[in-house]
Amino acid sequence: VNLWQRLNRGETKVDFVGKRQIWFRMSMLAIGLTLIALVIRGGLNLGIEFEGGVSVTGPNPAAATVEDFRAVTVATGVEDAVIQLINDGEGFRVQTIALDPETEDTLLDGIAEVSGNERPDLSIDAVGPSFGALILRQSLIALVVFLLAVTLFMTWRLELKMALAGIAALVHDLLLTTGVYALTGFEVTPATVVALLTILGYSLYDTVVVFEKIREMVGQYGDRLTYSEVVNRSMNLVLSRSLNTSLTSLLTVGSILFVGSFVLGATTLEDFALALFVGLAASTYSSIFVAAPLLATWKEKEEAWAHRRRKIEAKLRVDPAAAEGPVAKPGAGAAPRVANRPAPRPPKKRAR
Amino acid sequence: VRRRLIGLVLVLVLAWGGVGLLLANGITPKLGLDLQGGTSVVLTAPAGTDEEVLEQAVEIMRARIEEVGGVQEPEIAISGSNTVLVQLPGVEDEQRALDAIGQTGQLSFRPVLDAIFGDVGPLVTTTTTSTTTTTTAGTSTTATGDSTTTSSTAPTTTTSEPGPTTTTTLPPNVDPVTGLTTEDDPNLDAYLQTITSFLGQAVPEVIHVGPASLVGSDVADAIPGFDPSRALWVVNLDLTSEGADKFAELTANAVTFPVDSPQRRIAIVLDGEVVASPGVSQDVGAEGITGGEAQITFGGSAEDEQQARDVAALLRYGSLPVAFERSQVQKVSATLGEDSLRAGLLAGYIGLALVAILLIVYYRAMGVVSIIGLTVFGSILVAVFALLGEYQGLTLTLAGVTGVIVSIGITADSYIVYIERVKEEIRGGRTVRSAADEGFKQAFRTILTADAVSLLGAVLLFFLSVGPVKGFALALGIATLIDLFVVRAYTRRAIWLLAHTPLADRGPLSIRATTQ
Repeated sequence: VNLWQRLNRGETKVDFVGKRQIWFRMSMLAIGLTLIALVIRGGLNLGIEFEGGVSVTGPNPAAATVEDFRAVTVATGVEDAVIQLINDGEGFRVQTIALDPETEDTLLDGIAEVSGNERPDLSIDAVGPSFGALILRQSLIALVVFLLAVTLFMTWRLELKMALAGIAALVHDLLLTTGVYALTGFEVTPATVVALLTILGYSLYDTVVVFEKIREMVGQYGDRLTYSEVVNRSMNLVLSRSLNTSLTSLLTVGSILFVGSFVLGATTLEDFALALFVGLAASTYSSIFVAAPLLATWKEKEEAWAHRRRKIEAKLRVDPAAAEGPVAKPGAGAAPRVANRPAPRPPKKRAR
Repeated sequence: VRRRLIGLVLVLVLAWGGVGLLLANGITPKLGLDLQGGTSVVLTAPAGTDEEVLEQAVEIMRARIEEVGGVQEPEIAISGSNTVLVQLPGVEDEQRALDAIGQTGQLSFRPVLDAIFGDVGPLVTTTTTSTTTTTTAGTSTTATGDSTTTSSTAPTTTTSEPGPTTTTTLPPNVDPVTGLTTEDDPNLDAYLQTITSFLGQAVPEVIHVGPASLVGSDVADAIPGFDPSRALWVVNLDLTSEGADKFAELTANAVTFPVDSPQRRIAIVLDGEVVASPGVSQDVGAEGITGGEAQITFGGSAEDEQQARDVAALLRYGSLPVAFERSQVQKVSATLGEDSLRAGLLAGYIGLALVAILLIVYYRAMGVVSIIGLTVFGSILVAVFALLGEYQGLTLTLAGVTGVIVSIGITADSYIVYIERVKEEIRGGRTVRSAADEGFKQAFRTILTADAVSLLGAVLLFFLSVGPVKGFALALGIATLIDLFVVRAYTRRAIWLLAHTPLADRGPLSIRATTQ
């Protein structure tokens, strides 16, 4: 029986909770790197959509060089233009600060001429500074409201500690994705924000699936196992699903990334896919290695579960053969008699 | 079995047939400007502008853009609390269209008070004054408690000799460097630059105008026309009766000045720019120009014709009730739009193909069922977008396409959650048939919770965000709802039916085989 088959049958025996210090340290290290990158880089490279400015892109039939474009911008009186050639010089992008309409017009004429284009061939994105700030602010508001709403929803549907663990995993994913942007200096555009929001969705989706399983397993084994053991068993059972899901998602996003960067050079897609790819990878990791162990750690601190652990450990000293615990029968919990029972707490009378 | 089979066939026919029917009738999803090329503009009104005022402004903008012409299917809509989104697909001269839409169009007729030939320069009014300023600073003593501080300054006297000095008087809203009015207010004096023809030559000139006598609302109608006798383009203004009186008064005042005097001129100002500043002609009597008609004269070239038409359009539909700021202009060339669309579709196809291969390798017969399910999902999605595009004007933007690609992942996940669940049940000792039933109950709860979180996010984003994020949220929300529907209407039946075929237990493709 090879690893793949064990995974497929949910028979792996990874100790997700016991080794949590390793996972937590890895995450802390990554988050630390993110913060360092943010400090060193002096924040993120915000695109003109957030800071205000003009971006002109187009094909470059005249094969103009960066210097040619620079000459045009300087002649128009625009300092500090960012000029890039894309697709091996077949296209270009010129970015400047926000301009008044007349200067913009002159600049566009100049750029069209030097790159061998007619004006309609140019693509233009001009954003007033206040509007960019508005988009950014609205996105942040949406994010905060979303987090609050999700916390409430998950508390209602699952429980508070699960909601908090889920949000922690989410913040973890967002931080890591931000870290990649800080580290590489890639431009943060509205597409990036869209991608981050998608990651929120995926990350929560993944975590919810894992937690649903834990909730169900608690109902099934809650009176025989410690919380950590329940979590471990649930995780090993859903591991195959988590990996399969992540793989399918990464395949679709990977194809956006691949097509975007190597085949067609569509920069919007590229921005989007990079954030998504990193975020998805992070969210797969975090729902398994951050959310669930964190939940187990918190739940173990509850008096009832701590008591359960002490009892089971005491029993183990007497009868080491019981170390394996009751044999997990995957799926048995789905039998109608326990399936729809609400997650029972460990018996209270023995708790104190 | 029969009932479920009929249900399944019905779902398939509805989904595939529906989208086929729509596409055959030419109803396809409407593409956003970033996918087909075009210009989209976000105009922002001052914060706190009334919804009603915005609606009024949008009406005026629509009328104007139709008048100016040259734009196919312009879309102008209020989006957000104080922004108006203008979408102009395939427009040739976007600058002109934008001017027609966003220009406030505030017209005023004003008396000219003074005119100075020459270029822009600091505004100086030379006056001869004789001033003597004497400043005397005395001694001040402050005593607090037992300490006494005495500060003493010798009395100083500043005297400026009588003689000509230059004082600069700057009216408010005038730029001290150029000496021109920065923000024009019809109720105040203004210093405006214009070009005048002097002895057959175009000469720059700065004119000083008084407060407006007539404004745009005094104009009943404006009709562009060609005056063949002078070979010039003109806009004939039809004034309201009140406007006619005001105009008569304005011109009557002007004729009191000699013919060469600048004060005999009337300035026609549109949004702070002098359109024309003609003098009142010699043959006008003391009662001024009566009859309620006025004319703005342009040159004779094709450009002048365009200008005459644009100005007439601005005047005819009146000024916008608020001044808009152009917050974002995004112009996507047709080729870039096509490229993005191609890239999006290609990425979608490749992603789908990879997911399909993965599903078949993992889940065999159930994988095939999932893939058919993905086509059902895709068909409904296309149909919904096509219908919303046709009847609600919803467009699918690049952000929306990415939202859809993302939802492929979520949909595929619904199958994975369900199928894994079924496998678990079988391993737990159930028969394939009962596992298909039981697994659905368990999996549906999970899918419901997870989809609800996605949906929650999509709805919040849709209402709270602006710009591209909105399009993404909408696509994701619609896709999530369709996913829930497909899971209930299709997946459940299909897997259940599969469990009732020989593919349930026997052969390497069977459901049971996937659990080995």
